[in-house]
Order: sequence, then structure tokens, then C-alpha cells
Amino acid sequence: MEIHEMKEGNKLSITLSGRLDTITAPDLENKLNSSLDNINELIFDFSALSYLSSAGLRVLLSAQKRMNRQGSLVIHGVNETIMEIFEATGFTDILKIE
Amino acid sequence: MRKTFQKWLLLFVAGAFFLTLCLSFYLQTREANSNSIDLIDLKLDDAVKQIKLNTRNVEAIRIMTESEALAKARALAEIILNNPDVLKEKGWPGRMEKILDVDEVHIINKDGIIVASSSATGYDMRSNAQSKEFLAGLGNPDFEYVQEAQPRGMDQEIFQYTGVSRLDETGIVQIGYYPTRLANAMSLADIENLADGFRIGNHGSILITKSGIIVSSIDEKLLGLRMDSFGIQSGTLNKKEPFYATIEGVKYLCKPKIFSPYVLIGILPVDEMYVSRNEMIRSIVFSNTILFGIVFLLVSFLVDRVVISGIFHVNRSLEKITEGNLDERVDVRSNPEFVSLSDGINSTVSALKDAIAEAAARIDKELEFAREIQLSSLPTLFPPFPDRTEFDIFAAIFTAKEVGGDFYDFFMIDEDHLTIVIADVSGKGIPAALFMMTSKTMIQNLAESGRSPAEIFTDANRHLCENNEAEMFVTAFLGILEISTGKFTYVNAGHNKPLFRQSLKAYDWIQTKPGFILAGLDTTQYKQTEIILHPGDQLFFYTDGITEAMNQSGALFGNDHLKDFLNSPEVINYNPADLIHVVKEEIDIFANDAPQADDITMLALQYKGHGIS
Repeated sequence: MEIHEMKEGNKLSITLSGRLDTITAPDLENKLNSSLDNINELIFDFSALSYLSSAGLRVLLSAQKRMNRQGSLVIHGVNETIMEIFEATGFTDILKIE
Repeated sequence: MRKTFQKWLLLFVAGAFFLTLCLSFYLQTREANSNSIDLIDLKLDDAVKQIKLNTRNVEAIRIMTESEALAKARALAEIILNNPDVLKEKGWPGRMEKILDVDEVHIINKDGIIVASSSATGYDMRSNAQSKEFLAGLGNPDFEYVQEAQPRGMDQEIFQYTGVSRLDETGIVQIGYYPTRLANAMSLADIENLADGFRIGNHGSILITKSGIIVSSIDEKLLGLRMDSFGIQSGTLNKKEPFYATIEGVKYLCKPKIFSPYVLIGILPVDEMYVSRNEMIRSIVFSNTILFGIVFLLVSFLVDRVVISGIFHVNRSLEKITEGNLDERVDVRSNPEFVSLSDGINSTVSALKDAIAEAAARIDKELEFAREIQLSSLPTLFPPFPDRTEFDIFAAIFTAKEVGGDFYDFFMIDEDHLTIVIADVSGKGIPAALFMMTSKTMIQNLAESGRSPAEIFTDANRHLCENNEAEMFVTAFLGILEISTGKFTYVNAGHNKPLFRQSLKAYDWIQTKPGFILAGLDTTQYKQTEIILHPGDQLFFYTDGITEAMNQSGALFGNDHLKDFLNSPEVINYNPADLIHVVKEEIDIFANDAPQADDITMLALQYKGHGIS
């Protein structure tokens, strides 16, 4: 998985490509832990993300909880496979997916 | 490290090179100075010797000339004594001049008048100071006088008169002549001509000064110039010490030597005195560059061979070991120190490896225990309720290598209500296992207290959210079957939708909108759905270990594959136990020995009601 981040002031855009699974989720978690200070707008681009496991969901949930406190989180480019996962796990209820 | 070493070595060698050069330069300069001064001294001594020699020569020639002249004059006086008549002979003086090889012959009478001469007969000797000197001898029979040679005439040629008393009567015999040899000797001895004869080195020379004025020099332009016009004071000259002075734009090393009333100054251009030094320094630079270059290369090669490449190899091995390859062995045997280091590292790594293996074995064992405890909490005895004919239930968990968080559960709340649960805790390992135990116990407790499925999940979720620092979560599906009516009330917290075979038709996903996962947000409210099961209806519950089972090439088993397989004619009528076994077989065929990444958990429930026994 590749993580590409772009910061503009208090806005952080993160583009993920590849698989967000047990192996790669800790990378994203570390990245978020170190980058989310003073961020009030977090945007994920999932257009190039091919797979999302429960470990990935856990990181997303943490990010959502954190952004609930300090701003907003929006996910772009969710493909059909990942949308199915979001629907099946009820994440569609708590995530803002555009 | 190699670069650092080479940098320091280069610095050291360059420093040594520079020091050597400085020392050579200093010594060579001192040598050049002392050589130059010696050379000047030598030349000055030669010049003084030459002056003394010339003076002695002049003296000897003078004595010889004088005695020769006196002899001639006496001979002339003798001739006149013996034959006084010759004075009356016309042309006699001229003949005598030839005979005696002199230029003038004058015979003077008692009155100081020349009475016989080839050129000056009748001349009164008193009329000129020079000739008058001879008159002092008139009347003295032993008078003899050699006058100082003096320049004469237009060409200022040296001429000399010598006179003796006449023997025949009172008077003087005088001869005049050019003392050629004496003149030559005097000319040679003239200090003003001396400098021409001395060179010091190629462009050095001697200046001879008298009262601070240059009286002799190879360079005629300097003649008559004052030394102080070059900034050289008489005090400097009298000190006899070497000094530097710039004369006509050239810097000279100067060394004075006093030869009263003269001061001789040897001068040597500074450029010239350092020619040999510069030559020497050039050759030292050349040879040292080669020498130190060789030293540098040799030392750097040797140290590289003996130390650095050893350290490099040790470091490379240590890197591999740090990266986790404990099978790496350090094997640098270039010298005893490295042998000892290599052996030390190898035995340390070996001990470490044993310790890790031991710890790993212990952890494996403990995990195995944990796994056993975890699995022993699941109902594994089938049929679980042998006396209940209204339903058939079967479940199985196929664990992955790593401890996972899957679980299933089923229990009777009362005589008419069967609860089934299937769940998957996110993550792996002991934390997942512990969280699974907590979740399972909590759900069971809540279910046994008579709550509805939605209430069970809403409450369980709230409890699980407390102290959930690790932010784990659970996907879970819970259903309560009212055995007497076939009413199946269920709630889904983000779990895979079960497959439902209704009225002996094909399996299809149960229609439900899943709620949010358990332990995610403490405010989640769950909604339950009710369906009615008819005899023969079958439900198949599973975890994502099935749909996300992977084959060697990384493809997933997938939902459609599962549904199609369940609907295949051979499978569709299988009872719960058989169904679960064939699904597992199908997954194994698909995986084709690819390692199982996640727990695979299945639960199948067939409702028979009272109609089917």
C-alpha cells in the first residue's frame, strides 16, 4: 500500500493505493497519529484502494472518532467492493462518503 | 568509516609533508645564507690579498726601477768625469739617451742651469717646483734622488726623473724616463681598477668605497655614488655584519670588509643566493610527493585490508542480524582480534537465537493454551440438544495459525427460545481473544436476561465501548428463534449477511440493513428484524474467513462463489453438518495450500418445526 499525503493549512488529503489490511493498517495508523494535530478537515481518496480489511476499518473508525472531536472526515472515490464492505459493517452510517 | 579514515590519514600525511617541507625550506635557506656569506667572505679575502700583493709588487718594481735609474745616472756621471769634453759634443745627450735607454738626459751646472740636453739646454731648474726639488742636492757629493713618478703631458703618462751629483764638478746629472713596468704595476695596483677583477657567483661583485663613496665597481654607473644614496649608512658598513640592500632595483646580500681607508663590500643578488635552495626545494617537493603518496596508499591499503574491510564485513553481518536473520554468521578471520570478535558475535547471536526460540516456544505454548481455553468456551458437542427435534444446528470453527477473534455460540434461553450468535473480533492475537471472551460472555448474559436482540446489542455495545482503549470492535449477528412459531428475530452489527434458504428455494442473502459494528460508537442503537421460518428453511451463518479466503495467486473466495456453491444441486439439500463440511472442503480446494489467514467459522441452522422429524 502507498500513502500519499498533501497538507494545505488545516486540511489534510490522504490518497491510499493498494490494500489496507492487517499488514498495512499500522502504517496508516502511525501516519495519522503523527499528522492529525491541528487538522480540521481530513479527506481520504480511496479511488486506488483495492481492498479493505477489518484492521483497516479499525483505523478508519479511530480517525472518524478523532475527527468527530476536531473537525470533519470525508471519503472520496469509494469503489463498489469497498462500498459493500462499508455497507455490510454499518460504516455507511458513521462515515461521510462522497 | 573508510572515508573518515582516509580523510584523517590524508590530513596526517599532508601535515607531515608540509612540516618536512617547512623544515627543509628553513634549513636550506639557512644553508644558502651561510654559503653566500662564506662565498662573499672568500672573495673579499681574495680581494684584500690581491691588494696586498699588488702593493708589494709595486714596491719591488719601484726599488728595481730606482736602483736601475740610479745606476744609469751614476754611469753617466762617471762618463762625464772621465771625459768632460763630451759635454761640448753636439748630439751627445741624444746618443746617451739611446745608450742608456732613457728618454731625457740633462746635465745641470752649479747654478741649476741645464748645460747639456737633447731638448732643454739652458733651462733653469728653479723655474718649476718639480725640477727645483733636485737643486737641494747641489754641492752634496753623495746626492742621489729618485723623484716620485708623476703623470705628464697630454696623455698623463707616468714619467720619472732621477738625479745624482756630478763627479767632475758641482752639478747634477739627471735622467728622465717612462717607468713602464712601474707604471703598469701601479696601474694594476690602483684600487680603482680592482673591482673589475672580482665576480661573486654570476651576478655578484665587489664594491670598493672610500669615505662612503664608491671608487671601484664593475658597474661603471655606480662609480662616484654615495652608499647612503642606497640607504646604507657608514655605521652599517663598519659593523662588518651582513645586511641586505637594494641597489639599482636589485636586492643584494651585502657583506662589508674594512681595509683602511677602504671598505670593500661583497654583494650577491638574493635571487642568485636562493637558486640552489629553490632547486633543492623543488626536488624535495617532487621526491616527497612520491614518497608520501606511496606511504598514504600503502597505509590506507594495509589498514583497509587489516581493519576496515573486516569491520565492514562485521557490520554487514550485524545489519543482517539486526534485520532478524539470526542464522547469519560473522566470519572475518584476517587477524586474531577479528577472529575473537567474530566468534564472540556468533556465540552471542547463537545464545540469543536459542533464547528467542525458547521464548517463542513458550509463547506458542501459551497461545495454544489460550486458544484451547477460547475454543473450549464454544459449544462443540453435537447434537447439542438431542431431545429437540424442531431444529438441527451445527457449527465449526477452523482456526488460522494465529489466534483470532471469531466465535459462534448458541444456547436455549428457555424451552421455546434458541439464541444463535456468530461474531468476528477485529484484530488478532491475545487482545482479540480476550475481547472475544468478553463479548461472548456479555452477549450471553444479556440474552439470558430476556432482552430482545436489539436490546442485547445496544447494551452490549455500550458496555464494550467502555474501557476499549485498544479500539477493537466486533462484527456480530444474533438471532433468537421462537421454536414454537418459527419466528426468527435477528440483529446485525456489521456482520456478513447470512445466506437464507426459504421454502426450499435457492439460498439468498437475508434481507437486512446491517447496523454499525459493536464497540465502535457507544451511541449506536440497533434495530431488529423479524422473519418467519418455515419447516425446511435453512440459515447459513459465516465469518469473512470464508469470503476472504485467498488462493495462491491472491484471489478471494468471494460472496458469489459461496452462494453459488450452496446452490449447487449436490449441496443445496445438505443438512447443517454436511453443509459445513463440504463448504470447508470447497474452501480448501480453492486455497490450494495457500496459508489460511483468518479463522473460518460457520454455523448452519435448519428449522424443522413440528412437521419434520
